[in-house]
Amino acid sequence: MKCHVPGPNVKVLARTVHALARFGDELYLESLPDCILLRTLNAAESAYAMVKFNKNFFSYFNYNYYSTEDNEGLKCKISMKSALNTFKSPTHIDKQVENLEIKLDPESCKLIFQLKCRHGIVKTHFVSILDCKAMQAVYTKDTVPNRITSPQRILSDALNNFQSSDDQVTLEATSMSLILRNYIDCSADLTKIIRTQISLKPAEFDSYMIGTETVITFSLKEFRALLTFSEALNLPLQLHFETTGRPAVFIVHNGTTFEAHFVLATTKADNASQTTTTQNTNIERSKRKDTSGTQGSAKKKPHLDPDISKCLDEDSHLFNFVDIPGDNEIILSNKLNGNHSINKDKTVNDLMDCDNIPASPAARTMIKSVFKRCFESTFDPRSIQGAVLAENSDSD
Amino acid sequence: MDEGTSQYYFTASMDSGKTLCSLLKAIQFQETAVFCALPEGLKLTVEEGKCVQASAYVPSDNFTEYHVRDDVDVMFKISIAVLAECLNIFGSGEESSLKMYYRGEGSPLLLVLQPQSVNNVMTDCEIATQTADSVLELRDEDAEEVAKLVLKAPAFLGLLADLERSCEVFELNLSPEHPNVSIVTYGMQDRSCIDMPKSSDMVQSFSCESPVTLRYQLQHIRTIMKALAISTKVVLRCSSNGLMLLQLKLEKEDQRQMFSEFYIVPLLDD
Repeated sequence: MKCHVPGPNVKVLARTVHALARFGDELYLESLPDCILLRTLNAAESAYAMVKFNKNFFSYFNYNYYSTEDNEGLKCKISMKSALNTFKSPTHIDKQVENLEIKLDPESCKLIFQLKCRHGIVKTHFVSILDCKAMQAVYTKDTVPNRITSPQRILSDALNNFQSSDDQVTLEATSMSLILRNYIDCSADLTKIIRTQISLKPAEFDSYMIGTETVITFSLKEFRALLTFSEALNLPLQLHFETTGRPAVFIVHNGTTFEAHFVLATTKADNASQTTTTQNTNIERSKRKDTSGTQGSAKKKPHLDPDISKCLDEDSHLFNFVDIPGDNEIILSNKLNGNHSINKDKTVNDLMDCDNIPASPAARTMIKSVFKRCFESTFDPRSIQGAVLAENSDSD
Repeated sequence: MDEGTSQYYFTASMDSGKTLCSLLKAIQFQETAVFCALPEGLKLTVEEGKCVQASAYVPSDNFTEYHVRDDVDVMFKISIAVLAECLNIFGSGEESSLKMYYRGEGSPLLLVLQPQSVNNVMTDCEIATQTADSVLELRDEDAEEVAKLVLKAPAFLGLLADLERSCEVFELNLSPEHPNVSIVTYGMQDRSCIDMPKSSDMVQSFSCESPVTLRYQLQHIRTIMKALAISTKVVLRCSSNGLMLLQLKLEKEDQRQMFSEFYIVPLLDD
């Protein structure tokens, strides 16, 4: 196989390699008569990526350059580190590289990348081939009931509100809204956790089709990587998913020259633990604020599914609604937030939040929520004297 | 200078110490430098393990005043980090005029700095000096020059920056045949090769009579990168014993020039 990639497309290829590098440590290259496939799989085998470059992505494409009898297509596996070394700094690569030639000789043990750069410089990378096997994942993307096409910025803007320590995200898809929230491990210390929830309206998306309402949880690291990829190439992202336990497929394509599929495993929503945490806070809250509204939810049994969804609905009272004009509606919540059941308070909150447009929602909202009561106009410091609503949980 | 200062071994003054400071920082890969005031100019030399020798050379025409007593050797050891820090004492945004005094052996180097934008502010620095050890003489008069290359510094920097850091060996192949310059690096499993014909517009001149292959430690080559970043032109000379000399030219706004110079010892064949 021998092919030439023109300068602007080298940048696309470089972006692809950098995106794939955030998935796996090895890169599989397969050359077919009309396209080249790049694939990778992460170590835990929970994320897979495949990018297909059609013949017209290349300025020259000869599948059978070395005239071999083999009709199976050429396959090789290289280390991702070597591939990254070939495509350094993807943001500037199009200014330096004029043309790239890729050669794969079935008889040789090296994959050759030859970059023709500015100033007449030629850089040749002889990359060792580690294996000659191909790898392919099995997944469906066309027959799934839920399909969303998202403009490139929306989801990454939404994810910017999450903490960098969050490693999984739960996506709750209903026909009314798409809710993203960070997945909280049941073993985590609840007092140190920030829960983030973002609700996006169907109108934000280019197309929005939910056949079966579902909740899926998947890894955030790879999701961020593929969002960066779609944003860098300025192309919309298509989400195809079924239900929990079935892989979610994310597609970025430009229609003609290339198509990228990112497949992420979704974990079975650990319902019991997620709701137990909700229950716990409800109990804590009812201790702090002796209000009749929370006592009802505190009595609920954690293992009952209908109750759980009800609890989650009730929880939405907890969130501060922060309207960012012209942007998506972002709902942030904090576990420590204790104000929720008093209706009068709620209206005051809403009024206050309308005037207050936070620039960096995650950090500021958290502090505001913790001490919110103090900043409200109806707050009278004398009223709390003698009655301690929130006792110190620890002596220190 | 009046007679009062003629007792000093060395005095110099300069309108702006900024360029000097960035030049010093470019060779600041060791703690101490040998400070040597010659009648032609000022030279600071840093050595790393007898393998790399870097010098910053400031010709005397860069100074508004420059006096060296010709009956003595003005040479001492000084902390290059402290010297650079003192030159930058008013912050990097501030141009400050500079005066240097060195009274005699064992006495400190005196610096007087005055910022240009503020009046009546002045800093007086005293930097302790040590007696200098001898500077390594790497140049061998008997070894003839086998190749000489003049390259544009920014492009060469870009080339070096793209080399894989984990590689240890930097192999330089020079030949009168195409491709005239070829740089090969060996990584864990992979080999990378950069070919640069003499027709390339980053090569300003090329002379080489017969093919030559030289190997250096990449880490040593990388020591020149900071200096390359502030230079405009680099002259690369290889002598028959493998020693590489890189001379980097830094052009200032006032058309005066400062230089840095690197001697790099080759790797020997096993």
